[in-house]
Amino acid sequence: MIGRLLSAWRTVTRDSPNSLDALLATVQRLLSGLRSNRSLVGIVVIAVGLLVGNLVTNQQPLLGLDLQGGVEVVLRPVPGETEITPEALEQALEIVRNRVDALGVAEPDITVQGGNIVVQLPGVDDQERAIALVGQTAELRFRPLLARAVSRAEIEAYKAALEESEEVDAPDEAGEQGELGVADLLEGTLTGSVDDDADSVVILPGRPDANGQVFHFLLGPALVTGAALESATPVLEFAQWNVQVTALEGAEGIDRFNGAARTCYYEAPDPAVCPTGQLGIVLDGVVESAPVVNARAFERDRINITGAFGEAEARDLALVLDYGALPLVFEDPAESGLVRTVSATLGRDALQAGLIAGIVGLGLVALYMLAYYRLLGAAALGSLVVSGVLLWVILSFLSETRGLALTLAGVTGLIVAIGVSLDSNVVYFEHLKEDVLGGRTLRSSVDQAFPVAFRTIFWANLATLIGAGILWLLTIGSVRGFAAMLAIASILDLVATYFFLRPVVRGLARWSAHRPALVGMAAVVAAAAADPAIPAGERPATGRARS
Amino acid sequence: MSEQSSKVRGGLRRMYANQVNLDLERLWRRSVVMSMVVLLIAGGAWIFRGLNLGIEFEGGTFWEAPLGDHSIAEVREALATVGQADARIQELGGGVVRVRAEVAPGNTAEVAAVSAALAELGGISPNDISFSAVGPSWGAEITSKARLALVVFFIVIAVYIWLRMEWKMAVSALVAVGHDILVTVGFYALFGFEVTPATVIAFLTILGYSLYDTLVVFDKIRGNDRTRKEPYFEIVTRSVNEVFMRSINTTITSVLPVLSLLIIGRFALGAVTLQEFSIALLVGLLAGTYSSLFVASPLVAWLHVWVTGERPGQRQPSRERRPAAAAPRPRRAGSGPVGRSGVTTTRSHPARPAKKRRK
Repeated sequence: MIGRLLSAWRTVTRDSPNSLDALLATVQRLLSGLRSNRSLVGIVVIAVGLLVGNLVTNQQPLLGLDLQGGVEVVLRPVPGETEITPEALEQALEIVRNRVDALGVAEPDITVQGGNIVVQLPGVDDQERAIALVGQTAELRFRPLLARAVSRAEIEAYKAALEESEEVDAPDEAGEQGELGVADLLEGTLTGSVDDDADSVVILPGRPDANGQVFHFLLGPALVTGAALESATPVLEFAQWNVQVTALEGAEGIDRFNGAARTCYYEAPDPAVCPTGQLGIVLDGVVESAPVVNARAFERDRINITGAFGEAEARDLALVLDYGALPLVFEDPAESGLVRTVSATLGRDALQAGLIAGIVGLGLVALYMLAYYRLLGAAALGSLVVSGVLLWVILSFLSETRGLALTLAGVTGLIVAIGVSLDSNVVYFEHLKEDVLGGRTLRSSVDQAFPVAFRTIFWANLATLIGAGILWLLTIGSVRGFAAMLAIASILDLVATYFFLRPVVRGLARWSAHRPALVGMAAVVAAAAADPAIPAGERPATGRARS
Repeated sequence: MSEQSSKVRGGLRRMYANQVNLDLERLWRRSVVMSMVVLLIAGGAWIFRGLNLGIEFEGGTFWEAPLGDHSIAEVREALATVGQADARIQELGGGVVRVRAEVAPGNTAEVAAVSAALAELGGISPNDISFSAVGPSWGAEITSKARLALVVFFIVIAVYIWLRMEWKMAVSALVAVGHDILVTVGFYALFGFEVTPATVIAFLTILGYSLYDTLVVFDKIRGNDRTRKEPYFEIVTRSVNEVFMRSINTTITSVLPVLSLLIIGRFALGAVTLQEFSIALLVGLLAGTYSSLFVASPLVAWLHVWVTGERPGQRQPSRERRPAAAAPRPRRAGSGPVGRSGVTTTRSHPARPAKKRRK
């Protein structure tokens, strides 16, 4: 196989002036081993198979907010917690937008309305998860663990005892240390509040473990916050989902984190700050986990947050950590009844108008192609059907998995894309005409014109793909959705042209070799025959050629 | 009269057979003047009239009114009486309707007018209708990121064309794309159409389409340049003539659906967005085809003449039109070198030294 690849590469590099051309030619050469009727059968079987699978699982593309409506979440800031300024609202809006974008390529509508942030999502599949994610404050804190117990009462009693005396036995769960020097910590900071205040000693619940058991934790003031982190990614380690975080560089990042690590290093923990040698990881007031700190210093990108995470939880946690904490505290929208469904902004009539217009437009295009190119036009329409089916399946799949939603602009954009994708067929057909005009028979033109035409189509589509890639990487919101559509349409164009149009046109050319009118070539053949520049012996043998 | 019509028919037949032979040198000199004038108008309209940005970019006011059982179409009709037909209307459930319109929250007269129109429709008191400011949903961050992406896009595409083809083509393609975007944006500024996120997407579609169209023409020029020994200017005019029908056909197949959107959208209720979106596409598609034939191609030819000093007038004696016809037949299917035009498969002359990269 490798030998074959190499020899194919060598042959084409000899013939082609430039290495990019050589690459394409290599691919074409390898593919040419695939017999053309097999590629035709292959793509038709794949398209039909996927369509059947799509119909059986009943997947459909999701329609956008403008066409179908969706769910609306109103995020109302809790007054008093933080100062509510227009700047803070604006900042919160951007963070919410980033989180929603990271969920998928759906086009959300996020605005500041009055003093609230209103988030509208098109028919998101997992609404609760989306809503939870949108409003999560995502304040991450690393707090030293002081004690842990099964019941809240036990830990409260312990805390109360600590305030009175300096010598108290910790509850069993707290570990071996019988004596704790933490009483100093409590002085003046104990407000009796159970809130997750960064500078106080607090009691917070943990996550339920595998048995549904919830522990309660007594934790010291935060040593590090999420502000010290740069990014977070979910990782799967030993069948356990963790979140790996990367700290920022410098004093406010990794130095601060390692300061906490030194204080809590389990072999020599600072008894006044971190007696247990464990560091609690607290997100939005819940102790995600309290790992033993087993190193004095960590590398910037080797910090793991472990917990009883499922895959979705790890992903969501990484996501909210990645985009930072919201500067405002919002009411829980699910509790305050601020979640509701909303109607489409354009409604059924606009969708219908768009669809009718699209169908009429495509019908006209079909008529034109048939009138101009006859059977070749029919082949082009067939290739359009194949790429249309593949597009439908891909859109349905992306709607299901990535929350992609088609807006009216998206629908019309696709209709335009179809018109444009006929271009690759036109490029090929005109190449054919040119070759026949140059005195070649239709049959031999087909084999000569395709590689030339396909090269043109390939490089032009590659430019489009590069553009789409850049837009995808660098933009957010609906521009990103557009980039995805553009890339999908370009790839499908190439696939349908190569695997469907090529074999079909080759078959047509053989079949209609003596009936050029069937493929709209009568005039071309006549013109070639009438051209004195072509010697008589070279003229295409057709019954209709004038002499 | 009949002679003229038969001439036209003959011309059409030749077009159908892909035998187009336009006097491009003359056409280009005219088209350049025309493009300049159009660009000046477009640029002037953009600078002096500015764009009519939609509520998604600038924010506005929202109203929430318990209207009861009214369809969105009815609400839109009521709003049309106060000049807000393109407001964003949504049902929130329980008969409450939310209207977002491009009205400055401080503009009390207009805010009151919308409230009154809604109150009249619902048969309720204007006091039952709440309103407040709404911020932009297409925030500054999206715009700044999109702007950055566009700059990177242009640089990468320029490098791509430069590597694939040559720098003159890179320059010309970018000028052509810029031309199309400016014409479309200028059109919007001139007629005061509302720019929505959908319009921005339409602009981007045009960008991709125009680039694709130009690259197809350039590929043809490159192919002819490699296989023919003619002055470069001739190569370009020949190539443009050869791709002319393809450009016409592609334009027709892309414009037909847009035209149908425009016409049907015109008569369909509530499809204002659809209509303005398709205008952007229509203008952009037409400009895209025009620019690849009449902006990018002459620019490449003229740049070449300017750089190499090879004047269009200094034509070398033209070669036999189809040297390939007399040459031996090409090899078996698929065995020939890929990348040569089928028309002239064999060279009767030694390969010309590459002069494309000369600077």
